[in-house]
Amino acid sequence: MSEHTTSATTRPSTRKRYKRVAYALLGAGILALWIGIALDRFVLGVALYWAGGIGMGLVQRFSPVELYDERDTTIERKASQNTVNVFAYVFILGTPGGLALEESGVVTLPGEFYGATWTLFAVFVVFGASVLYHKYRS
Amino acid sequence: MRNDISDRRAETGESQADLAAAVGVTRQTINAIERERYDPSLKLAFKLADHFGCRIEDLFEPADEDG
Repeated sequence: MSEHTTSATTRPSTRKRYKRVAYALLGAGILALWIGIALDRFVLGVALYWAGGIGMGLVQRFSPVELYDERDTTIERKASQNTVNVFAYVFILGTPGGLALEESGVVTLPGEFYGATWTLFAVFVVFGASVLYHKYRS
Repeated sequence: MRNDISDRRAETGESQADLAAAVGVTRQTINAIERERYDPSLKLAFKLADHFGCRIEDLFEPADEDG
């Protein structure tokens, strides 16, 4: 396919450039956090990490071109759906399974198991509330 | 969803990037629509039809698996 140099064709590359800047800011923030932890400057690392995250958000919010289109949104929605499905199986099957194994004396569950279970429970409560909200709004 | 966007684009001499910019999506989205790997929203379908000066049903037709 031939490449044109009209103003119309510059738009996707501009979009790509802004996306790169956004992800670079977040990446720099994460790197700063790691360096901060390694150098025992945790608070500074977290501050820089937040700055990177906020910078990414600002670029996404105020870039002159839309960084994501409807296909990106569809892909994200499908990925979210798959993630929820995977963790639903983990929660529905794993939690009672783990408790049954502990009850029968096969394993002693670590505290992390209960922490993860409550976290998943909270995620599904939020998910359910969100579904209900959108159901009654549409 | 079957479509003839690629043919219409060839007629007008537009690149995927040109069309993408005209209707406000990425070139990858136009590519995915042409390859029938992504069905556009109604809003985007209207924009595409408007761009080519035709009706949506002239541009798209259900693929066999769409029923």
